[in-house]
Amino acid sequence: MRYIVGYTADERGHDAVCLAVALARRQDATLDLVLVMPEHSMYAGTYPPDKGFDTLLTQQMRQWMDQGLALVPDDVAARGVVVRAESNAEGLIQAAEDTEASLIVIGASSRGIGSRFSIGNVARSLLHASPVPVALAPRSYRRTDPVTRLTCAVGRRAGADDVVSVAVSSAQRRGLPLRLVSLVALDAGQPDAGGAEDEANRRLAEAASSLAAGGRVSVETARGASIEEAIEAMAWDEGEVLLVGSSRLAQHMRIFLGSTANKILRTLTIPMVVVPRTYATSGTTSGPGSLPPEADA
Amino acid sequence: MSIDETTQRGTGLSRKGLDSGTVGLLGAVVIGVSCVAPAYTLTAALGPTVAEVGVNLPAIFLVGFIPMLLVALGYRELNSAMPDSGTSFTWATRAFGPWVGWMGGWGLIAATVIVLSNLAAVAVDFFYLMLSQVLNDPAIADLTLNLPVNIATTLVFIALACYVSYRGMEATKTVQYVLVTFQLIVLAWFAIAAFVHVANGTAFDATAISADWFNPFAVGSFSAFAAGVSLSIFIYWGWDVTLTMNEETTNPRKTPGRAGALTVVVIVVIYLTVALATLAFAGVGDGELGAGNPDNQESIFATLAGPVMGPFAILMSMAVLSSSAASLQSTFVSPARTLLAMGHYRALPKGYGRISPQHKSPSFATFAAAVAAAGFYVFTRLVSENALWDTITALGLMICFYYGITALACVWYFRAQAFSSVRTMVLRFLAPLLGGVILLVMFVKTAIDSMDPAYGSGSELFGVGMVFILGIGVILLGVVLMLVWSRINPAFFRQEILTQGSAAPQD
Repeated sequence: MRYIVGYTADERGHDAVCLAVALARRQDATLDLVLVMPEHSMYAGTYPPDKGFDTLLTQQMRQWMDQGLALVPDDVAARGVVVRAESNAEGLIQAAEDTEASLIVIGASSRGIGSRFSIGNVARSLLHASPVPVALAPRSYRRTDPVTRLTCAVGRRAGADDVVSVAVSSAQRRGLPLRLVSLVALDAGQPDAGGAEDEANRRLAEAASSLAAGGRVSVETARGASIEEAIEAMAWDEGEVLLVGSSRLAQHMRIFLGSTANKILRTLTIPMVVVPRTYATSGTTSGPGSLPPEADA
Repeated sequence: MSIDETTQRGTGLSRKGLDSGTVGLLGAVVIGVSCVAPAYTLTAALGPTVAEVGVNLPAIFLVGFIPMLLVALGYRELNSAMPDSGTSFTWATRAFGPWVGWMGGWGLIAATVIVLSNLAAVAVDFFYLMLSQVLNDPAIADLTLNLPVNIATTLVFIALACYVSYRGMEATKTVQYVLVTFQLIVLAWFAIAAFVHVANGTAFDATAISADWFNPFAVGSFSAFAAGVSLSIFIYWGWDVTLTMNEETTNPRKTPGRAGALTVVVIVVIYLTVALATLAFAGVGDGELGAGNPDNQESIFATLAGPVMGPFAILMSMAVLSSSAASLQSTFVSPARTLLAMGHYRALPKGYGRISPQHKSPSFATFAAAVAAAGFYVFTRLVSENALWDTITALGLMICFYYGITALACVWYFRAQAFSSVRTMVLRFLAPLLGGVILLVMFVKTAIDSMDPAYGSGSELFGVGMVFILGIGVILLGVVLMLVWSRINPAFFRQEILTQGSAAPQD
């Protein structure tokens, strides 16, 4: 099993490496630290022309890569990969596709000028386009011990089944307790106050819990005026990871996806894994009964 | 733990990778024309050149290409023998040692910083002009004459371009094709419209075209000739990018040369047509619309586009604005990379060598270039009444300086191969030698002439011509900084990092 780590030689990259190590431990997963080398457009109109910048950049990249690999403890296998692509997000997706990796790990916080309150650009583009789950490390994440519990936010929207199946299979493989949370509060304000959604969520959760052998599955309901509030109201373990389906986040319009994810990240001090809506759904839309073998996070 | 570089080129995995891999003849010409930015160049340089050589503008435009070509040939040889992000800085250091090398780098940085401030200022002029055309309110166009507004807007433009460049955002193929096509169409439109006015008798000062306009020897004095040539170096600055494209082209043996030739034909045709149209329509008198009127010379299209193109003058505003804005952004890369290389080789404090981990672009160096461009602009705008004109003339001076050094660096570096074959004799010895000497002669002559307070636009400071202050002042500032830095960190100057050397003789 292989995880792609979107590495940058800064705090954010450090966050990503730590999370990747935490997720990889007890999994025998190997890490690919990926540095994306920008693909320069011939049409950029750079003048006077020079061909030497790439040499300096490559030199710098090697230095960065050494630093990055030094962050990975000895019990986790890691290698460095340099990918040429037009954007960081594109390079990471390319690397994930080429190596059939099962997860992309990145640091999600943004420290750019004037973007303190927005999620990083790389995270935003990845959340829109990644074919595999994306793990987002919150700001200053330095924990490298193995994950202690998985929490999965479930709803009845399309794609919810996929998140649950990913959560169940990961928890099983890692031997971790799984907590299923139905975020009913997210849909407050809709006339559907009769509890139908509540009911549906519960049924889904119960189906999942009955399926997970070993049975360390708990079901909770979180309430709040918004997804952030609902999440804030819950108790979190230090070593916990939250799984969310991207359909959950992208419900209004795609463009809100980034800001909602960011709000959660700011509320939450634990990592979040966003499972793409289309991930592992081929032929297995009948519910959590049929688990895609490669489903993982 | 190893680093393996997986480049997806050629495996069909990355369509974009393959796309950007090669450039055909047309693509190379588009790149060449976009680097020259003819709409911006003409509006900035036409006036000052007319002021120097009058109706002999076409002759000077033609003659000015010769030293450019000669130097570009040498540049290409150095670029393929020693590809380096420091370009002129590194090559001059290798050939002549650290002191001359440092000044070569300084000249290149100064030239690009000066052009950045001029590009931003021209963009601002046409930005307000376009706004006034859109809103049909002439008062808005005059906003650019309001000093605080002008300086503030220019600084905003510089900051934006700096940020875009720092983020590593680049113009794509489509954008560049559209920009270039649009520029050429609008310039052709302007020329045709001007000739139509001449034919209809509605021109401002219809002047009959004469063969004498093409005779460089008809230019009154050597001073005027030197000034004209150093200005026309500026108008071809950018053209040589086509020559340095090799493996990037579909046919490395033929495409660069053909693209270079075709680009220069396109550029010369458009320059001559517009120059002739302008002279035929407006004459070189100092009347309201005359090309000899100092008020018009800073930005000729701002004055003439309206009378010539009527309601379609807005297209000219758009063409100049887009051309200068695009160049503003792409030109930032150049001083930033030279500063980066100088930081890397310890010729400057280490911070200049920093690369942004996120955007993989020079970080500190890019912002330093922006601060320098902004500072240069504010200084010039405050002390000179004709800031644009003076900066363009000073820019010509600076290009002559660093290109001259670069060309001679080529001659000296390859001296052992000078006579080993006809090819090396022409490309590595004769052409750069001749080109370098011409440029340095133009540099010295223009520098001496520009001490006269009446030189160029006639701006002065303490009885010395503004162009001299800007051009030579910047070079002297470089000398001072070099001496200071050599005291603080002499490693580079003791040749501990880059050593002087020369190419080995060929068999």
